[in-house]
Amino acid sequence: MSDGTIEKLKGAFTSDLVYRSEDVPLTCIPHPEELEDTLHGLMKLNGLIIRSLEEVAGRGANAVTYRAGRKYGHEVAKYFEKMENIEEALKELSDILRGQFSFEIWKPADKTSYIIQENGSTFIYLVFHDCIVRQTLRRNGQVQGGPLCQTLYGYVVGAIEEITGKKAKLEIVHTGPNACLKKLILQ
Amino acid sequence: MIEIRVDENSCNGCGLCVKDCPMHVYELRESLSVPVHPENCMGCLSCHEICPAQALEHKGVYPSKRHYIDIRVCEMLNRVI
Repeated sequence: MSDGTIEKLKGAFTSDLVYRSEDVPLTCIPHPEELEDTLHGLMKLNGLIIRSLEEVAGRGANAVTYRAGRKYGHEVAKYFEKMENIEEALKELSDILRGQFSFEIWKPADKTSYIIQENGSTFIYLVFHDCIVRQTLRRNGQVQGGPLCQTLYGYVVGAIEEITGKKAKLEIVHTGPNACLKKLILQ
Repeated sequence: MIEIRVDENSCNGCGLCVKDCPMHVYELRESLSVPVHPENCMGCLSCHEICPAQALEHKGVYPSKRHYIDIRVCEMLNRVI
């Protein structure tokens, strides 16, 4: 490679912008529309990490990703208001997840309440619509319900535990291309 | 509520939608899939994807975000198609 080519390549990484230490960025640079390549790269990388983790750790991969998701959930939710009311907590959770995941509280038509009691357990059905995990898996042609889904499982459990102070469990009931059904089991 | 339409001319009665739906929305009647409980449909579109005859149509489904679609690949495909 000639010096000229190197200088030309280097030129792409120089600008006249002055960064001061006190500057707080108020906008995302570049504009999010220009981030498509970054997003695709991230999704591909995440998918490959999960695939490799599964190859190396086998079923242990689920435990690793669940733990990572749970930590993330606790971390994010600790700045939010604490409450015991589960419906209010779910509203809070919906705010926390905005932009990455969107969900609705759902019930089969024959149930009268969203909080369902069956066989000695109390649970709420959540239908996850927008989901960055599902998009990542479909981007890479990977099956749903595996270790990457466990991160969301951990994330929701961690956030709910942090907000309500109570133990919770999330069960993946069904995964689909447009939405997934999960059961939030309250303990 | 989500409205589900089954194209009777296309449905081959394979029953995959009946097996796949977690909310038991479909039933097989006279070798045809019939949405007997459309009120229980949550719009996951698993049946839509699994149907080999592409006989299903859902109206009123919230379309989830699909950032994973590679616009450049789609543009190339459109040129070929």
